[in-house]
Amino acid sequence: MSNYVLKYSRDDRVKYISHLDFVRLFHRTIRRSGMNFVFSQGFNPHPIMTVAQPLSVGVTSDCEYMKVGFDGEYSEQEIIETINNAFPPGYKILAAKHVEGKEIDITRIDRAVYTAEFEYEGNAEPEKLLLYDELKVMKKSKSGLKESDIRPYIYSIEKTADENGIAVIRMCIAIGSVYNLKPQSVIDAMEKYLDNFKAGFMTVHRNLMTIGDKELL
Amino acid sequence: MITTRDKILSAVEKPTRYTGGELNAVMKNPAEVDVRFGFCFADTYEIAMSHLGLKILYHDLNDRSDTYCERVFAPWTDMEAEMKKHGMRLFALETGDEVTHFDMLGFTLQYELSYSNIVNMLNLAEIPVRARERDESYPIVCGGGPCAYNAEPVADIFDFLMLGEGEDMINEVVDEYVKWKKSGKQSKRDYLEAIAKIEGVYVPSFYDVEYNEDNTVKSITPNNPNAKPRIRKRIMTDFNTAYTPETIVVPFGEVVHDRVMLEVMRGCLRGCRFCQAGYIYRPLRERKPERLLSTAEKLLSCSGYDEISLSSLSTSDFSGLRELTDGLLGITEEKKIGLSLPSLRIDNFSLELMEKVQKVRKTGITFAPEAGTQRLRDVINKNISEEDIVKSTALLFRGGWTNVKLYFMIGLPTETMEDVHGIADLAQKVLDVYFDIPKEERAKQINITVSTSSFVPKPFTAFQWAEQDTREMLIAKQNELKGAIKSKRIRYNWHDNKTSYLEGVFARGDRRLCEVIIKAVENGCKFDGWGENFDFDTWMKTFDELGIDPDFYTARERSYDEVLPWEHIDIGVTKEFLMRENEKAKQAVTTPNCRQQCAGCGIRSFGTGVCYE
Repeated sequence: MSNYVLKYSRDDRVKYISHLDFVRLFHRTIRRSGMNFVFSQGFNPHPIMTVAQPLSVGVTSDCEYMKVGFDGEYSEQEIIETINNAFPPGYKILAAKHVEGKEIDITRIDRAVYTAEFEYEGNAEPEKLLLYDELKVMKKSKSGLKESDIRPYIYSIEKTADENGIAVIRMCIAIGSVYNLKPQSVIDAMEKYLDNFKAGFMTVHRNLMTIGDKELL
Repeated sequence: MITTRDKILSAVEKPTRYTGGELNAVMKNPAEVDVRFGFCFADTYEIAMSHLGLKILYHDLNDRSDTYCERVFAPWTDMEAEMKKHGMRLFALETGDEVTHFDMLGFTLQYELSYSNIVNMLNLAEIPVRARERDESYPIVCGGGPCAYNAEPVADIFDFLMLGEGEDMINEVVDEYVKWKKSGKQSKRDYLEAIAKIEGVYVPSFYDVEYNEDNTVKSITPNNPNAKPRIRKRIMTDFNTAYTPETIVVPFGEVVHDRVMLEVMRGCLRGCRFCQAGYIYRPLRERKPERLLSTAEKLLSCSGYDEISLSSLSTSDFSGLRELTDGLLGITEEKKIGLSLPSLRIDNFSLELMEKVQKVRKTGITFAPEAGTQRLRDVINKNISEEDIVKSTALLFRGGWTNVKLYFMIGLPTETMEDVHGIADLAQKVLDVYFDIPKEERAKQINITVSTSSFVPKPFTAFQWAEQDTREMLIAKQNELKGAIKSKRIRYNWHDNKTSYLEGVFARGDRRLCEVIIKAVENGCKFDGWGENFDFDTWMKTFDELGIDPDFYTARERSYDEVLPWEHIDIGVTKEFLMRENEKAKQAVTTPNCRQQCAGCGIRSFGTGVCYE
């Protein structure tokens, strides 16, 4: 068995696919590709794969990572081409790397850069959030809805566009098993702490996922 | 960019129902075709995408370079609310375009309880519901599928209906459409007259229906020289070579039948007297294992599905079953693809086959004795004996199976409370079979589920003249059965009798029901097949409002000389044969299957299939 880390993107056409549906979709993609993969044990044998930090429904990305095991050696270029030919339109493998052991550990991803575009009323001044020492918002956790201070987990935030009541902001925030922050919580904090700001409909794109400030591939 | 589409899709459950763009969905430039065809299924995405007929006709039409066939399904209630909020009309999945001015819309009529959704979909498209209200700027609205054989309750909605198998017929009506469109679409009547000559095509507006004072039909008369006196169904006479798609659209979300479906044969040779499919799809025609294997390989490799199922009305009767399953296992075992064989009969049930295909999972298995006593099984011509059931279940329990579902109907003609008790007795006998097996030779657990649905008499069956049990009677029988089941290991599920009642009204309904359906939708009815949406009281109020007594359609036995609303439709099986079968049913006399002895049903006139084996 040989393991590969794949970096892939998903665009608007497929952004409403849930994580579970993506997993099934990827199983089928691998079957279609004709590559020999490693089967899991159990009632429903399927290719073995791990996805790092599954995307939420509705979010697009060009920095997703997964690890997958093949039976046999394939060149990185071969993997990229074969899977891309088998993917439904909207998903694309951007890079592939053969890895030994935990050479690249996708479970250690701890920060992500997002672009959020949203309608709003009032003033959208996200940078002001950084002036606060704490930002307590209600946040979903395993044990239900809880108040949490998200300030330490916002690493940067800036507004990149603001026109006709629609603003675009770019933020670098924590992701992963230690602390997982979603762009919506940052918007919630803006509504709670900033004067005269009410957010409306929002779309999100994930630009980057890193371990510290290091890219995986 | 923020779009209305995103606002709508973010607000609904299962947005991938509406996005299209699935693997193998056909993408074309609409500007480059003559015909934009919307294949409509009046139910949710998950139901629609499980339908084999859609898969066939979708690719059949899209193989034409002059036609773009897109899928159009019923939006769930949350989506409908969002669409209305944003002023969005009914749209096609592939392009997202409104269907309001498509060339043709073709509805498949799969079950009576989807009729309200057809009306609702036309409303959402802002297309006038009645055919006579649509001018040439609107799509031609057509229909097909099993309910098209008696589509009288929705006849006013359709410009035309296609009876029987559509693979060829649909191409012929599209050919005529292209000619008509190129000639400038003068009058819709010209088009309908041209297609009325095609075998299998029924133009309801070309027939006048008169009624007697007692509300029965007096006569059905053609009013157009191009209309045939009787419309005969179409079938594919060479089914082995008939069109079958070698690609399949793979849904993003899970659908009901989420696998490759391999249609091994069409038609059934059994002749169960209650079963409409058994009569309308006659004669039985098979595909050769060789062709099926090649189709299976292509469908599996283009989809990446990890499951394949054989599709037919009675898979055990497929004469190439051994050769096919051996060949399929050659493909599936290595690749760890699941093979499922639904519709196996209990009498020639083969444990060996089950063992072969169910290497990993030994979960549930369903048998359909349909009736609890031998007498009643003989009445319905379900040629299964108690011994068959006992023998098969013994093999199952020894083989490690633990869940057995037994499926029955209540309300069958001539049924007595004794027959109802027979259901409980039979389930008990199956349980005894389990306990008679020494502990070390059987599985640890046992679960028997008894389900009953309520019998609904259907047109073109031996029971088309029968009285349907009243709801009160069905409830009494359900209660009787509940009381008769003693063991805690036997679970009883029953089907809601209100939907069966409405289904019964429409199944044998006439054209006077069309206004009721349109009005019921105005009153809020839709998704009647979905318990949470079904509003029986509103239906009843609507019947009342329009002065139509629904019991007229269910609560009486029809005489043989009554003109039935579907009298002008010819399925190839003769009325005389159905009468003979009905008389034999009354005496509990069975009829052998087509391979044992020809019963002279009339279908031989199609010149193909099991009749000529």
